[in-house]
Amino acid sequence: MIMSNVAIAGVGYTPVFVSKRKDVNIAEMISESVATALENTGLTPDDIDAVTFGNMQTFEGLNMPHLWSAEHILAVDKPTIRISTGGTTGMSTLQAAYYYVASGLYDIVMAVSWEKQSEGDSQVGLAGIVMPEAMVMVQHGLDLFGGGGLSAMGGGSTGAASFQAMSYLHHSGADPEHIDKMAALERSNAALNPYAHLRKKTSVEDIQATPFIAWPLRFGHTCPTSDGATTCIVMSEEKVRKMTDGNVAWITGLGSATSDPSTANFLEGQLTDPAEQEPARIASAKAYKMAGIKDPSRELDMAEMYNGFAHQSLMWLEKLGCCKEGEAHKLLDAGALNIDGEIPTNASGGVFSTNAIGASAMNRPAECALQIMGKIEGGHKIPKKIRKAVSHGWGGMFQYVTVMVLADEPMKS
Amino acid sequence: MAYNKDLETREVQATWDVTTYQYKLDGRGAKVLADGMKEKTIRGIKCPQCGRVYVPGPTYCRVCYIDIDDVVDCSDEGVVMSYCIEMADVRGNPMDEHRVSAMIKFDGADTWFIGTVHGIDPMDVKIGMKVKAIWKDVTEGNLGDIQRFEPV
Repeated sequence: MIMSNVAIAGVGYTPVFVSKRKDVNIAEMISESVATALENTGLTPDDIDAVTFGNMQTFEGLNMPHLWSAEHILAVDKPTIRISTGGTTGMSTLQAAYYYVASGLYDIVMAVSWEKQSEGDSQVGLAGIVMPEAMVMVQHGLDLFGGGGLSAMGGGSTGAASFQAMSYLHHSGADPEHIDKMAALERSNAALNPYAHLRKKTSVEDIQATPFIAWPLRFGHTCPTSDGATTCIVMSEEKVRKMTDGNVAWITGLGSATSDPSTANFLEGQLTDPAEQEPARIASAKAYKMAGIKDPSRELDMAEMYNGFAHQSLMWLEKLGCCKEGEAHKLLDAGALNIDGEIPTNASGGVFSTNAIGASAMNRPAECALQIMGKIEGGHKIPKKIRKAVSHGWGGMFQYVTVMVLADEPMKS
Repeated sequence: MAYNKDLETREVQATWDVTTYQYKLDGRGAKVLADGMKEKTIRGIKCPQCGRVYVPGPTYCRVCYIDIDDVVDCSDEGVVMSYCIEMADVRGNPMDEHRVSAMIKFDGADTWFIGTVHGIDPMDVKIGMKVKAIWKDVTEGNLGDIQRFEPV
């Protein structure tokens, strides 16, 4: 494949990720991460050739936020596209920036992602995904939320995820207690990360004291809703040589794939097990091949998984080939997923601890990039040298997966 | 440019009325299924090329990408593919009586259908267990005609 090498040259987060940013509006909040990214790279607005922009559809009730906030994202006189692919939005936005630079069309592209969930109703946004289908089924007598024989989505998105969690537990041999343990590990990691939302050292007992929403998932297994934004600046190899000190993170592989909707497909019948996640295998195989990784279970130094729910970190490690099927909970028990373990997983605390949705799948590669560059602020810095890292995004109707592999060295041409 | 906890921007309440939308969807497969239920029968649509049976059926095979309209009967018994135990309602309020919500593959079908399983301690439900539809005494030809599922 003949394409230019592309790097993440810098990352900018909002000063905090919290439930409610009352002091700023949407555009002001986004501009904080943009300004920080410029500050961290020493670039000026004139250096930016194009902007990609991502957040969830419907969540804040805004249809063209990228144009509304054009000045705030330094997009005036420049190409600007909005990308909205559900939970994967942040990574899709970054992948689009990669396409721009890898193709040779532009040299420096800024990828901006955000969500300000406090200004909307996330459950309304999520319901909008299935509204037409659900309405047809309701007209045919489906008791969507009631107590009849054909009830559906108790517990909102957590209820939907619980079917996936149960199938995962059944097929992997992990116990519900492993979900508690993964949750406690990631929340405790988040406590060390100044940009995490839920920052409290948490024990397994703390998690187990939270109520069940839908067995096997508890309140303590679910992500928060956050306000925050993330900006990544993506650069061609030539510009990295000319304009930086060379301490960047190279995007060496990427992939994405979808299956059929594997949840809530009321109208046409659900074909696929929500815990099967074949797209994760397809997308990661593509990314690893591109990055020259032959055995991900041995070559990767860290993983950042997209996990709205705590069982998913374990599930994704298996689906992305970081270990064999049914082995992730054993790695957890052996301490391999800890910050100082063999394959530190979600050292940041994951989506599970910080979830400004549009930004969530960008924070995964952003965290990998910062770990590679040695620029992590906070106690979740992984003690070993990170050479290769895998990041992952997930969403849609339980079926769309994005993968990005980052490294400390560019691919040799 | 720092986080100011004490500053508050002005908040303006607004609503977006979803009832102003007119959704048009081909619900033929759902209608085939609902009509069959009047006769206490599970009806799906089969793809002649790959043999997959969809319940409810789309008008095209989602794997082969061809039009399909071959209506077939499936058993009203099936297998639990996955499940959860609902302990809170959709608004997050705790439920007094826990309820098993299951994804069920009817015998003869290839898709997962949703239903509640009664007549068993929720903690005893297992993936792979056989269940059967319990029909209302008087069926009306809608998806509410299945009252619940019970273990076979």
